[in-house]
Amino acid sequence: MPSDLLIIGAGLAGLMAGIHAAQQGLRPRIIATGFGATHWTAGTIDVLGYLPGDPEPVHHPFQAVPQLLAQRPQHPYGLVGVPALRRALQHFQELTTTLGLPYGGGRNPHTNFLLPSPLGAPRPTFLAPVAQRAGDMTREEPYLIVGFRGMRDFYPTLMAENLTRQGHEARAIFLPLDLITPQQDNTPLHLARALDREAVAMRLAQALKSHIQPGERVGLPAILGLERHQQVWGLMQEILAAPIFEIPTLPPSVPGIRLTRALRRHLERDLQVPVDLGMTVMDFHAQAARVQWVRTRASARPLKHRAQAFLLATGGFLGGGFTSDTRGRAWETVFHLPLTIPQDRGQWFRPDFLAAEGHPIFRGGLRADAEMRPVDTTGRVVYENVRLAGDLFTDSDPLAERSLEGVALATAWVAVHGLKFA
Amino acid sequence: MPMRNLHTEILVIGGGVTGVGVAWDAALRGFDVILVERRDLAHGTSGRFHGLLHSGGRYVVKDPVSARECIHENRILRHTHAPCIEDTGGFFVVTPEDAQSDYPDRFVQACAQTGVPCEEIPPAQALREEPRLNPAISRVFRVPDASIDGFQLVHLTAQAAREAGARIFTYHSVQDLVLTQDGGGPRVVAARVHDTVGDETLLIHADLIINAAGAWSGRIAGMAGCQVEIVPGKGIMMATAHRLVNTVINRCKWPSDGDILVPAHTVSIIGTTDTPVADPEDLRIEAWEVAKMMEEGEKLIPGFRHARILRAWAGVRPLYKAKEAASDRDISRQFALLNHRTRDGVAGLITITGGKLTTFRLMAEKTVDLAAQELGPRRACATASTPVAPSQKDLYWLGHRLREVEDHHLQHELICECELVTRGMLEQAVRNNPTVTLDDLRRDVRLGMGPCQGGFCTYRAVGVIHELQTGEGLVPDTENAPWQVDRLTSPGQTPSSPTSFPRQAHTTSPLYNPNLLLRDFLQERWKGVIPILWGQQLKQEQLDRLIYLTLLNADHLPDPHLKSPLTDFYHATASLATPSSDPD
Repeated sequence: MPSDLLIIGAGLAGLMAGIHAAQQGLRPRIIATGFGATHWTAGTIDVLGYLPGDPEPVHHPFQAVPQLLAQRPQHPYGLVGVPALRRALQHFQELTTTLGLPYGGGRNPHTNFLLPSPLGAPRPTFLAPVAQRAGDMTREEPYLIVGFRGMRDFYPTLMAENLTRQGHEARAIFLPLDLITPQQDNTPLHLARALDREAVAMRLAQALKSHIQPGERVGLPAILGLERHQQVWGLMQEILAAPIFEIPTLPPSVPGIRLTRALRRHLERDLQVPVDLGMTVMDFHAQAARVQWVRTRASARPLKHRAQAFLLATGGFLGGGFTSDTRGRAWETVFHLPLTIPQDRGQWFRPDFLAAEGHPIFRGGLRADAEMRPVDTTGRVVYENVRLAGDLFTDSDPLAERSLEGVALATAWVAVHGLKFA
Repeated sequence: MPMRNLHTEILVIGGGVTGVGVAWDAALRGFDVILVERRDLAHGTSGRFHGLLHSGGRYVVKDPVSARECIHENRILRHTHAPCIEDTGGFFVVTPEDAQSDYPDRFVQACAQTGVPCEEIPPAQALREEPRLNPAISRVFRVPDASIDGFQLVHLTAQAAREAGARIFTYHSVQDLVLTQDGGGPRVVAARVHDTVGDETLLIHADLIINAAGAWSGRIAGMAGCQVEIVPGKGIMMATAHRLVNTVINRCKWPSDGDILVPAHTVSIIGTTDTPVADPEDLRIEAWEVAKMMEEGEKLIPGFRHARILRAWAGVRPLYKAKEAASDRDISRQFALLNHRTRDGVAGLITITGGKLTTFRLMAEKTVDLAAQELGPRRACATASTPVAPSQKDLYWLGHRLREVEDHHLQHELICECELVTRGMLEQAVRNNPTVTLDDLRRDVRLGMGPCQGGFCTYRAVGVIHELQTGEGLVPDTENAPWQVDRLTSPGQTPSSPTSFPRQAHTTSPLYNPNLLLRDFLQERWKGVIPILWGQQLKQEQLDRLIYLTLLNADHLPDPHLKSPLTDFYHATASLATPSSDPD
């Protein structure tokens, strides 16, 4: 049965678009090559952390949007407008609370707050899983950073030293990894799964208890449970009688995986929206500026998917939505939509990796109108029944701006809510 | 502060393969030796080549003297430097483009004349051994080429030199040479050397100074008023994401750009170009050079133009232009040994330059023979029969690291999954080697050289170093480090006890700031990927950006403006490719 809306991409934008569509009464379907960048990120909702070229973090992301648009006039925040961005964020916060994975902001709900990165650098973010919030760098409590001997994806002494360099009181301790698991070769995901067992969480809490000094807040790598995260975190706070916060780790990101799983479960179980992975679009057919179908490569045979509308949420270069070749050509991979990227590798990069202005190639992308439809250089809509969401837009570099999740939520919201069916 | 004075018989300038070879040879003969290198060992040309241990095949027609030297040294090094060498063998293949040339016949004849073993094999057999080879090749010749690890070669030779009594100072740069007038004329008697790490100046007095500064040797000779014209010849190389071949593949034609593919560890390296540059530090890579490699690679391996490229780099050959050479093209790949006493009337200085990595031992032998004439005879040269790592007799084998990781169950110890670098190896390198930057660790253990180009391991390695520094008060000690480099490449080695290591208290030096180490290494990796970022590797780079920007916020760490004397190098040579124009 053809769906109303075929969503291509299962990152934050694609999954949220599926939820919005189902809530609107549509019959959406999600296909994707694999999961999106959520499996790699800190699991927070970053809205706008830095303006291009400015090393100072953005305090008030909504108030900073006009400044952003002065430099990046076609930025998706300009297309959707601040009110839609705020609505999308509010919806996300309500949804995740319903799903049992609540997100919250800093002490002022209208501004960014700073959470320590695993290196101890201040990450400007807008919403975070509640288990990360006690890391807030505007709070005064001294930090106790807890690492595990033999865990290769988290280094507590380095984090504590950088916090100290910035004027915070911070110290680091190590616990043995076999408190959590006898297995030696672990990713953060393995450890989170092990901590889903109450006995293991209790053992960790008991071992940690004697190390905590009064008044300290305790930072642990983000491994406090996968499916039972809220309970594990609650149990730790209760036993330790101290604020406990999670620190994101190198990928795979447990907070990001928790979010993906919660959203996918909601889609598939509550909303009956199919999410099919392992499907990469090979080609498509369009007629009279409307896409009729896309065809995917799958293990058995190519499949044709028809829909009234298509939502592209394939995620730029990182997600595989764009690719490029040796000759400096760059293209959008599903519908071959025109990109604003200079077709000349000589103009793609700056000499410094960490250049505050970012690299020109990564702020190129697709042009869109206010309904998130792709448009060409003259402003003409390319396909009337295609919508864009996520990290695809020109004039934006979500990794440099720290706006990846904000762009995903706002554009998914607007793209779906603007859909009209006959 | 009074200047520190050191005294030695021989001062060697340059920590590339030539310099460490000279130090090793001279120390074995009983000379008192100091070697100074302004950066890390193998930081220059010895660490920036394609990894070919020549059979001599590439020179048989063009330069038979070099060919003879190569095959002679090839045989010796397989014995003396076994753990650096993988016995890949080599093919010279005749592609359709070269089928009409008389070069293959001349090649066969010249191999016979120079003593380079060469066996013609049926193309079908070559294709069975190397199925990716162009099936249209018409003739194939097998020669004893091999793959050699330049970093390990230099480090093991340096370790052997130290064990024979030589002192080796890295991050010590020569500022000028001190001359006196004795009865007969000017004589070089000392070098003023700046210690970059300790930030002090040393005066090293030597009976004889040996200038082995490679592409920089003209500058060193100039400090004594001697003119040595070096034409730095830049060559670029690119590494593919996997080994496309297990045999060295050469085009059987007059040597030219992009005609060789060398299997090296887990990658294959295509090379190279030869462009004269004014400055040996001008290592920028142009888009046409990258395009040329992709195009030429396609002739050897169909589909090469779609291969994932991990990185591009350039090295400079120290081409010595003899006074009589008419043009740059007449410059030989043979080495030049210059006694400035007889050549320029300046005593106390010898320059050894030109030559090739494969013949470094021979160059060192001839150089120290000359030194012995100047300083008085010692023991005979012993390098041809002295293995540098007596405990490691076997040639390198690609599966070595994986086998050790699996045998010892070290999967959980892997800091760099791409190159199978364990925490133990890193700790061993930091404890036992004069490590100042993460880039030094890269040369020691191949940190960050795989597909993610430091994406995961940069953060982990900085974390490990920081734990060593804070837990053990351990900072790199270039002078007193024990230097057990032969154990660095082995994931199964247990780290030696920290108590055995001399501790130093330089922790206040900005060089050891973890944030600076991290930023510098990210930048070092970046400069080598800019020229080749497209397709999959561009996607990989976005993941690295996600990790270092959004997750770690590494661009907003404390001390953002902190720099070290070692930082600039990584920024100065970062370059942008210019428009590419290859027709598809």
